[in-house]
Amino acid sequence: MSTAMNFSSKSFKPRPPDKGAFPLDHFGECSAFKERFMKCLRDSGYESGACRQRAMAYLECRMERQLMANEPLEKLGFKDLIDEKSEAKPEKL
Amino acid sequence: VVPGETALAFYKAKNPTDKPIIGISTYNVIPFEAGQYFNKIQCFCFEEQRLNPQEEVDMPVFFYIDPEFVEDPKMAKVDLITLSYTFFEAKEGQKLALPGYQ
Repeated sequence: MSTAMNFSSKSFKPRPPDKGAFPLDHFGECSAFKERFMKCLRDSGYESGACRQRAMAYLECRMERQLMANEPLEKLGFKDLIDEKSEAKPEKL
Repeated sequence: VVPGETALAFYKAKNPTDKPIIGISTYNVIPFEAGQYFNKIQCFCFEEQRLNPQEEVDMPVFFYIDPEFVEDPKMAKVDLITLSYTFFEAKEGQKLALPGYQ
């Protein structure tokens, strides 16, 4: 398709996503996770980095409900958060 | 958003009609030159999505900005990148011409 918004010689070539498409969450199964994430963004002044824990929780929700292909969270850029979790575990009983 | 760090963003779509709509969306990045650094890991785009009458859904995009963005002198003044999506109604038998997309 051509978005004739810019008439420059270069045309924008959209690229498909690396891991494919998210199916729609028709039943809002993960809406609560999304709301928690959005609240975090608003509270932090839209600092994406401050809300990665909640972003990860949202993606985990999707994976648990077959709304996203299962992928190890370390590969989705959350390795540092996973390492923190596993370090914290021995202290919790 | 920090280049190299994965990030999540949400859009919302609503079908205000009383018929189901099958749509497909494509995206645009402004400024144009920043588009090459925008990497989508997963999103709702490029595949047909069905919206039932009056249905409203959240559309997530999981992405990151290529860390090489910070090395590009042309991007030095860019501190705002805008990602927009356009939702089209899919017509039977018609496929969007997306170069290189299988």
